[in-house]
Amino acid sequence: MQLLEQVQDGVRLSVSTPEEDVRAAATANDSLILEFEAFRDGRGFSLAAVLRGLGYRGRLIAAGKVLPDQARHLRRCGFDAVELSPGADPAPWRRMDQVFSAAYQPASGDDRLVWRQRHTNPDAALAARLNAQWGQAAAEDLLRAVLDPALERKAAVISSFGAEAAVLLHLISRVRPDLPVVFLETGQHFFQTLAYRRELTERLGLTDVRDIKPEAAALSKADPRGDLWRSAPDACCTIRKVQPLAQALAGFDTRITGRKRYQNSHRAALEPFEAADGVLTVNPLAAWSADQTETWLRDHQLPRHPLVEQGYPSIGCWPCTRAVETGENARDGRWAGQEKTECGIHERALAPAC
Amino acid sequence: MYRYDEFDAALVRERIAEFSDQVDRRSSGALTEDEFKPLRLMNGVYLQLHAYMLRVAVPYGVISSRQMRRLAHVARTYDKGYGHFTTRTNIQFNWPALQDLPAILSDLAEVEMHAIQTSGNCIRNVTTDVFAGVAADEIEDPRPWCEIVRQWSTIHPEFSFLPRKFKIAIVGAPKDRAAVRTHDVGLQIVRGEDGQTAFRVFVGGGQGRLPHIAQEIAPAVPGQSLLAYLTAILRAYNLLGRRDNIHKARIKILVAAIGIDAFRDEVERQFAILRQEDLRIPDEELARIQAYFTPPPFADLPATSPAYDAARRLNPEFARFTRSNLREHKQAGYGAVIVSLKPIGGVPGDITAAQMDVVADLAARFSFHEVRASYEQNLVLPHVRLEDVHAVWSRLREAGLATANADLATDIIACPGLDYCSLANARSIPVAQALSHQLADAALLEKLGPVRINISGCINACGHHHVGHIGVLGVDRKGEEYYQITVGGSPDEQAALGEIVGRSLPAEEVAPAIARALDRYLEIRNDGELFIDTVRRLGADPFRTAIYELTDAAA
Repeated sequence: MQLLEQVQDGVRLSVSTPEEDVRAAATANDSLILEFEAFRDGRGFSLAAVLRGLGYRGRLIAAGKVLPDQARHLRRCGFDAVELSPGADPAPWRRMDQVFSAAYQPASGDDRLVWRQRHTNPDAALAARLNAQWGQAAAEDLLRAVLDPALERKAAVISSFGAEAAVLLHLISRVRPDLPVVFLETGQHFFQTLAYRRELTERLGLTDVRDIKPEAAALSKADPRGDLWRSAPDACCTIRKVQPLAQALAGFDTRITGRKRYQNSHRAALEPFEAADGVLTVNPLAAWSADQTETWLRDHQLPRHPLVEQGYPSIGCWPCTRAVETGENARDGRWAGQEKTECGIHERALAPAC
Repeated sequence: MYRYDEFDAALVRERIAEFSDQVDRRSSGALTEDEFKPLRLMNGVYLQLHAYMLRVAVPYGVISSRQMRRLAHVARTYDKGYGHFTTRTNIQFNWPALQDLPAILSDLAEVEMHAIQTSGNCIRNVTTDVFAGVAADEIEDPRPWCEIVRQWSTIHPEFSFLPRKFKIAIVGAPKDRAAVRTHDVGLQIVRGEDGQTAFRVFVGGGQGRLPHIAQEIAPAVPGQSLLAYLTAILRAYNLLGRRDNIHKARIKILVAAIGIDAFRDEVERQFAILRQEDLRIPDEELARIQAYFTPPPFADLPATSPAYDAARRLNPEFARFTRSNLREHKQAGYGAVIVSLKPIGGVPGDITAAQMDVVADLAARFSFHEVRASYEQNLVLPHVRLEDVHAVWSRLREAGLATANADLATDIIACPGLDYCSLANARSIPVAQALSHQLADAALLEKLGPVRINISGCINACGHHHVGHIGVLGVDRKGEEYYQITVGGSPDEQAALGEIVGRSLPAEEVAPAIARALDRYLEIRNDGELFIDTVRRLGADPFRTAIYELTDAAA
């Protein structure tokens, strides 16, 4: 809504003017100023609503005794602008106009109707709210916020049990050690990863770590010799990761990952909470730096993946992972020499370090 | 019961942020007291005689155990250890410090509670039948519709600066247990011609200085059109209601002034020009809300319980309690227990933090975590197994909550009166207490049967004295507290205003005079005739005589 600091020219009617006279004035003028004689006199709101309901497309300006606290009432009833009294501070007007993120009532030119949002993409609104409220919070608080029983989310953690996985799993163990943790057992992991999965689970007291395996029939059909990664790494990821994960997570509406912005350029704009396809994805470590991760691992004496000290900062399946050289990014050892940077489980707004 | 989703939760939090901003601007002088007052009122904050008062909304009277515990926490932490349930099924705290209000509101927001629109010239908390979802005569559970109206009326852009406050009640049964005809708008669920949910709409009821019983404006508004029709009523009222005299600003005065037919024409004209399609409740939204009110997982029980029957035989006090405070449930083997907030000599509607915790625990254990607040200022545990009623009663009794007087003469409805309220002319509480002592005998109470006594400390009628079978109104007579008595009022589907019987009485004469009127009833009633039916049959005269008998003799 426009804030006008000058007195406006045009037809000016008191809100105490009878409705039929206001309507008559509206048919003859493409701009009307409705003057409130007291801010408690709410007739102006109904007059504007009547005119807009009748299809009046002209300009409606509120004037006189109105409060910044009525900005959104004016706007939502159909006013385009308000004439501020001389010397009025416009800041509270702007603030009060935007104080509510949604409204229960359908109103003039307003798309933030709760009914509509509820039945289109409810998770988007939740993600927006959680980002606004918890986006800057510590990772553990952010987890607690989304796991608040009042939200009634069915959440699962996705973990690769890779180089940095211990941080997220450690936080989970402090908040909800019984939360399901999904591990994609592709059948092509380094044996060190499998050992680390057992060690970390036991050490942190996680009680529901699930090994998710590819479907045997699909595997024997598409990759009978176990070398699909050579010819078609995308297809290999699909059959070993994307499809099994989708099945494992059916029934969960919330997925918690350890993804971080610094990991690669695709993740640079990662938000802590994202919504897509009816699923809320939570990235509590989105804003963490590599140093912060290292410090956390060290301070809490968490066990490290055995391959880290051999130069593997990001660890997936053995055929598609190599150590990185000095100067390379952490994930440069994944699908090295190919265009591929992600396995695909995150492309649908999901999944962790692949 | 309804649970907030992220939109509801966000709105309540944003409202706290908005209010904090307003408090800051009041402190800096950017808002004058005159400007701040309606904003604070719309957040439930009153300035009373001795302190601020916070009125917390209990939408349509439904409270969870968790919420009740939080109310106890608020009473204990920020107040003097108690709260007061009102006739709008809200709860008010009488002694919060102004600087604690943001903390209280945040604590409440955590359990999906708030104080939004519990005061001010806006649409107030919608009320309903305390036995919604329990009573066998129900056509449809009114609570989903209450929730729809709650959401629609919350922070309404057009109807937040009405000429005066606006109260809506909804019932789902032909028996009116929510006094809908004393409301600005009363809604009664009926079946439309197509068999679908429809609403019989009453408009223009209200109490206060100029009481009116609401009149029917529409026989059957389809459920889908409810919000559009309400919008048309509110819009007509907002444009035409008087703003020059606070005592003539309610919709009842407008309807009485132009007549129900002219008002109906005005509403239908507005209804015809508003964008009804925007206000049609989407099917999926109605279904979403209704899903919250599906019955709890009742056990399949026989209609009777031998343990319950045996306890009634063995314990006359328990048997009396069940006769007065247990209501039938449509689910076999269950009953609804009325928790009395009317102990003999107590303050009607008051409840301590410890008592709130007891009720919360009992609800968690025996009533699917659900409590209801009634407009009669009692609480109800709506879904108790008959076999558990004795255990519930024992615990209530220990906590002082088992007075066997629901709907009986000591189940007095009273406003806080001059002990708290800045508007009052006279005290209500001491009169209620004296009456409660006078009529304390349990056998007498039971003999008298249902009698509704209402006390208001001023003409604003928060104690609903106009529609009490016996009403008491505090008046100021040259600086002294006097009380006017009415007889024959009724809040139900046969709603009527009581008749003033004569000159007002000093405080100490009120209780004995009412006791004499009730004695007279026992002498003149037909077999099995209720007090109100005797009044309807014979008029107020016999009671007038009884009320003034002694004082006239003395004079």
